[in-house]
Amino acid sequence: MAIEDYEGDMKMCCRCSACKYIPLQMIRHSKFSDVCPSIARYNFHAYSGGGKLLIGREMLAKGFEYTDRFLHIVFNCLLCGACDVSCKYAMDMEVLLPISELRMKCVENGNTHPTFEKVINLLRSKGKMVEGEGKRSEWAEGLNIKDVRREKVEVYYHAGCLSSYNKEYHHIPRTVAKMLKEAGVNFGIAYEGEICCGGRAHEMGYREDFFNQAMKNVEIVKRSGARVIVTSCAHCYHAFKVLYDRYGFKEFEVLHITELLEKLIKEGRIKIRNSLALNVTYHDPCYLGRLGEAWIHFKGKKLPGIKFVFDPPKTYRRGAHGVYNPPREVLRMIPGLKIYEMERKKEYAWCCGAGGGVSESNPDFALWTAERRLEEAMETGATVIVTACPWCEQMLKKAVASRGVDLQVWDVVEVVERTI
Amino acid sequence: MLPRSMYKEIELVVGPENVSDDISIKYAYRSPYVTVVLPGSTEEVQAVVKICNKYKVPFKAQSTGWSFYPPEYDFVLLDLRRMDRIIEIDEKNMYAVCEPGVIAAELQAELFKRGLTCNIKGAGSNCTALALSGHGHMGITTSTGDRNDLATEWVTDEGEIIRLGSLSSSGEWFCGDGPGPSLRAIIRSGGVITKQATKVYHWPGPTYYDLKGSSPQYILLEKPANFMVRYFSFPSIEKMLEAELKIGESEIAFELMGFCPSMVSSNITTSNEEDFTTLQELLKEVQGPGFMVIIAGNYPEDFEYKKKVLEQIIKETSGKSLKIVEDPKVETTLLIQCTRISASIRETFRAGGAFASMMVQGQRYDLHVRWLEEAAEMKRELIRKGLVIADEGYQFGWAEENAHLGHTEIFCRYNPYDEASLKAVQEWVRKVAERALEGCFALPRPGILPVEMVGPRMSNYHLWFEKIKEAFDPNYIGGLTGFSYVGVDSASDHTSLYKRKGPAP
Repeated sequence: MAIEDYEGDMKMCCRCSACKYIPLQMIRHSKFSDVCPSIARYNFHAYSGGGKLLIGREMLAKGFEYTDRFLHIVFNCLLCGACDVSCKYAMDMEVLLPISELRMKCVENGNTHPTFEKVINLLRSKGKMVEGEGKRSEWAEGLNIKDVRREKVEVYYHAGCLSSYNKEYHHIPRTVAKMLKEAGVNFGIAYEGEICCGGRAHEMGYREDFFNQAMKNVEIVKRSGARVIVTSCAHCYHAFKVLYDRYGFKEFEVLHITELLEKLIKEGRIKIRNSLALNVTYHDPCYLGRLGEAWIHFKGKKLPGIKFVFDPPKTYRRGAHGVYNPPREVLRMIPGLKIYEMERKKEYAWCCGAGGGVSESNPDFALWTAERRLEEAMETGATVIVTACPWCEQMLKKAVASRGVDLQVWDVVEVVERTI
Repeated sequence: MLPRSMYKEIELVVGPENVSDDISIKYAYRSPYVTVVLPGSTEEVQAVVKICNKYKVPFKAQSTGWSFYPPEYDFVLLDLRRMDRIIEIDEKNMYAVCEPGVIAAELQAELFKRGLTCNIKGAGSNCTALALSGHGHMGITTSTGDRNDLATEWVTDEGEIIRLGSLSSSGEWFCGDGPGPSLRAIIRSGGVITKQATKVYHWPGPTYYDLKGSSPQYILLEKPANFMVRYFSFPSIEKMLEAELKIGESEIAFELMGFCPSMVSSNITTSNEEDFTTLQELLKEVQGPGFMVIIAGNYPEDFEYKKKVLEQIIKETSGKSLKIVEDPKVETTLLIQCTRISASIRETFRAGGAFASMMVQGQRYDLHVRWLEEAAEMKRELIRKGLVIADEGYQFGWAEENAHLGHTEIFCRYNPYDEASLKAVQEWVRKVAERALEGCFALPRPGILPVEMVGPRMSNYHLWFEKIKEAFDPNYIGGLTGFSYVGVDSASDHTSLYKRKGPAP
């Protein structure tokens, strides 16, 4: 894959600006009509999905010029895929993939973001994407979980870098592990053998590093005997489910914890014992929602002629088939809990700010993005924002702290924990 | 490239983060000559315009940039995206005041809550909510863009802020023509509109559409009370126009959109392949040219009355209802697409990436339709050669203001990167425009033919317009009018009314 492969798609951009807004029919309020944080914050058309396609198209034809502004545009995209959904409401063309390739091109040609380089060095040296001392499996202490390095399991639970190395998020994998145990799931973890999934390296533009992580992870899973990977991180989910499949690494089923929880609760293997009188709103993580849609392998050719159509016909990933209902279904099964939806939800949800490595490379912009989401959450009247990704939780908590508002941010598993 | 001192002065006005002439910005704005400025207020627009005058560097302004025709010399582009406030919605006096960066979908969402709606350009609700020119699907109720603008705040080409209509005398937005100066024709010659009031209209529908499903197929599970959507085809153009006029005279339609079958097909399908298959199905069923009608009753009796009148008119004109549209799923899809104006992109761009349009705004009947029927014949020849998208070549249009006015149009969808396709379409545009003059059918919009060719047919209006331009823009640097072919940078092949050759003054 390379940006050259998307030349035809980039030429299809008609400069209509649909990529800047949620699907037009869904706009109910002028305040929450934007969908792309990058154009909303920086305003030049170049920062929109369409703008980046126009740049890519021109640079492909005339040569790449890595100016500061160009790199600012490229690296201040959250790669959240919102533009892709809004464009594909009307058009048959790829948007996010060429934008991602544009970043890959920059990185491959040595024009990376210095912060990314630092993060990737951490990945290369220590197999993790976040700072933090201590052991990767510290969160698992005292839980007596099977070690997949020595024991065969049916399910491999991958906690992910942020939940492992940031103590503030240890509660997520700990709760997951307790619930899986209660449900009698034969699962295990890799303890110090767990390594980063590579998903955020891919987001940052480091495809080779992603490949390295993928190969290693495939080995871990193979050795564990597991046929299912479960993760509670949206970025890991996207990597295992979508990227591993895209690049031919996927040999197992991938479930987000909310998908498994829904199943286990419905089967009665996890019992909701308490009601929870709570008004919540649910934030869809981009990498679980619109980007969590399964990869579609397509091998076709554009038909000769002036129409942009393929043989065989191309089925586009339009973001509609991500993981939207399982987390909502889990919440709905809790007596007393009420969900108040934000205006921008599911495939056209506003990003939390963590996508594309922007939370590392431009924390101010990431926080700005999260604050916009917070404003929207507050309009619902909910007292808790529930989400299903530690990266989203982190960004939204930062926004809460920055704004000094009385709103809590919980993961879905945390909500369930309070009821069992 | 701008003089660096000028660039610095602009930076001082809008801040360094809101001005750029970087190569990536130039690519995104499709011009090697552009310096883009993002003003955040009328005062900033004024200050930048004055700087442009000081340095005698031309400028242009854009709201949402759907259609943009870059000049071929260094210029400043005022991208008004940051000016995105809905200033006021006056329900009693039925107008809304917006800045240029507000899109129609945003304004309409706020109006729906108040039982109101606004005129939306056919280009779609992704475009500015400012009235300006531009006609749209709901024109039979909401009229045309250029009959909707009220009081206006305008920065002239020299950088003077002028408040037009009632705004100048009373600070109120209710009227574009007074008390106070009315320059509604003049403001289309240049300058920058920074705020404008637009008329709003009664909306008998829901405060919002409670849509289910997901992109690209949002579904309205329940049709709003007292709404009906139908598509009728007719045995001849004469019969179709007769029906249009009768519907207009009887004032029963909320919307009358003269979709050709391919536009219906694009609206109700979610991919190119589905579109082309559906079109073939539609073509089997239609008996000739047609239109879509939306009836919206204010209460059940009103709805029943309108339906009965429609039924009678269709009977009298031998209209035939398209069965597929009577399917509630298709009917509601058309309802939401065609009242929120969210499908224009599917209609125009999805198949080939671009379209070139010939249109006449203001009229529809007899001459104009005849002219574009000829254009359709010429288009069919291109379809046969595979140079434009095969959509059977129909012209289309719709009645406006209950058929006092109308809009007639035809477009070719094509691939702007296919040289043969591009050339064929450019040639088609030229021929159709020339035919308009030769046959005394219509006056093509400025920019399609050289002004020297069109002007004499219009009482040498261009010479008078030049004088006005000179009075308002002595440095000749203001926002020059132009007309672009949407989606492709081919406009340089045509001669804009005020396009000058060579370097900037």
